[in-house]
Amino acid sequence: MDETRQRLTNCFQVVFPDMPQEAIATASTATIAAWDSVAAITLMNVIEDEFGFEMDLDDLADLDSFEKLYSYLQKRHQVA
Amino acid sequence: MTITEALRITQSVPRDVRPFAVTLACGFTPLHLQTFLAAHLQQALPDRKVTITPGLYGNLVGTLESISGAALPDGLVIALEWPDLDPRLDYRSAGSWSVTAVNDIVVSARTMLDRIAAALLRIPAGPRIALSLPTLHLPPLFHTPGWQASQHELALQADVLRFAADVAQGARVTIVNNQRLAEQSPAAARLDLKSDLYTGLPYTINHADRLAAQLAKALVPPAPKKAIISDLDDTLWSGIAGEVGPDAVTWDLASHAQLHGLYQKLLASLADSGTLIGIASKNDPAVVAKAFERKDLLLRPEQAFPIEVHWNAKSGSVARILEAWNIAADSVIFVDDSPMELAEVAGAHPGIECVLFPGNDYHAGLAMLRHLRDRCGKERVSNDDALRLESIRRGAAFREQASGGATPESFLEQLGAVVTFDFAAVGEPRVLELVNKTNQFNLNGSRYTQPDWQKLLSGKGALLVAVSYEDKFGPLGTIAAIAGQADGNRLTIDTWVMSCRAFARRIEHQTLKILFETTGASQIDFRFTPTAKNGPLREFFATFLDEEPQSEFRLTRPQFQAKCPALYHEVREMRRAEAHG
Repeated sequence: MDETRQRLTNCFQVVFPDMPQEAIATASTATIAAWDSVAAITLMNVIEDEFGFEMDLDDLADLDSFEKLYSYLQKRHQVA
Repeated sequence: MTITEALRITQSVPRDVRPFAVTLACGFTPLHLQTFLAAHLQQALPDRKVTITPGLYGNLVGTLESISGAALPDGLVIALEWPDLDPRLDYRSAGSWSVTAVNDIVVSARTMLDRIAAALLRIPAGPRIALSLPTLHLPPLFHTPGWQASQHELALQADVLRFAADVAQGARVTIVNNQRLAEQSPAAARLDLKSDLYTGLPYTINHADRLAAQLAKALVPPAPKKAIISDLDDTLWSGIAGEVGPDAVTWDLASHAQLHGLYQKLLASLADSGTLIGIASKNDPAVVAKAFERKDLLLRPEQAFPIEVHWNAKSGSVARILEAWNIAADSVIFVDDSPMELAEVAGAHPGIECVLFPGNDYHAGLAMLRHLRDRCGKERVSNDDALRLESIRRGAAFREQASGGATPESFLEQLGAVVTFDFAAVGEPRVLELVNKTNQFNLNGSRYTQPDWQKLLSGKGALLVAVSYEDKFGPLGTIAAIAGQADGNRLTIDTWVMSCRAFARRIEHQTLKILFETTGASQIDFRFTPTAKNGPLREFFATFLDEEPQSEFRLTRPQFQAKCPALYHEVREMRRAEAHG
């Protein structure tokens, strides 16, 4: 597992402490009931804490799965 | 604190600990405010599992009006913002900002404040209430330019302050200090408009954290320190009394020594509200005595006791002062201008808080004054606070005479002691305060929040007795409290505390006697737990049980009667009618 994926997994563990680790990689708003609008904003802030940059609330609706968040972070990392 | 840290704090609590339920009343989406509030409260209550239930969105007053006796929370936190007073003050609202509308907003806000005040009054006794006044700027809806305070804006602010002053009058509602909040959360960096419009949370993350911290402190305040021990030279006053002479030490404006004068005024004010003040100084006693004769001293000499002045180590002075006060080092602050003296005292008295008097650094000086007020300040001052220092002085005289030539029995017999048992002390703030700060004669070390205390006393057969004492040396005030439940001929005691000022007077024996007699109990079960500090209570019970208790135990009436020594007190009992008469 690369570093970004591991750090993102850690973020999910903070926001969804009851989620089994093996379920995180495939998690999405469609499959995880606890991933509601409040959890989405909290997750965004935890990712900001972890990666040290600000995310835009406009991006929130599109970032609805672990994979999409991972891709987003990779792009941000490349830009940086 | 970051969101991640806050979440980790709330998730690290074992699931099987007792819950502490808080209702969070706010008109906006609580989001991070809720997360941070849970984390800060969790830090203040490590033995509880804090759970926060947000109220109704957009209907703060509705949340307050829905709180009833059926499901009372342990605490209520209210984060008031301008939109709670009129929806047109909400950036999310489409309501008009016309001149006519602004006039109407002032009127409707006033009506809403009255409704909120009425709802607060109707909340049944029990939960403690923390309230923050609007923390965000009003929207730019007034006709004046922003640099000018509009008449309407001032009227709104005046109404809010009037409301706050009214609801703070009772002991129930604690108001967050907006000025202190502003130091930690600058006004211009509080509103996150995009978050407000997208999510309904108007706060930046930092503001949510800082406000949550203040609300948590208002809901669960830290226990105040009981005492301050102060140095003299270059601390209580400017100058070395032994060198310049007692008449030449200063603490006034003209001598540029006002910081010392402010320090004296603060100590005097704290002494007035029951904080003990002692002196530990390496000095010539005769010189210090002369300095204390000066009429312009702002700390009155009678407000400081004991005064330890000699050339020996200050740790020894502190030890003797602690012994005279009979309190532990961790309840005390030691103030000195010498880092070396602070280190010497800190090394000898683990737990004591050492504070450096910062000399001519005025910024640090003000910070120190505020710190001392923060650590020793009290929400309210009782008659017992005023009695404390005098009773300690009398205690010293008591011990001196008790250790003199007379036998213990003849000494106790001629004391003229009166013990008053108040069976109607429910609601007396002094009683809970005593329970939460007494360490040595304490049945189990349990501390109670106001709601927990209320619950304990509202159970079936609940019993609360407050004990006060006086003798020829003067009154000690309320010095003990017992809480438990009576069930037929059995009595269970959950809490028993007695101030260390009241030791050696057999008040604890008289208390047991009264408990057996008034309840008709043939046995008393004590919910005892040994703590690091409750040795005096263990020793007391060992006289009846022939060994120190290790866990919960039972004392029968014959066991008590067989070992109870002679009691010489006049006993008075206060029941409900007398207590309220």
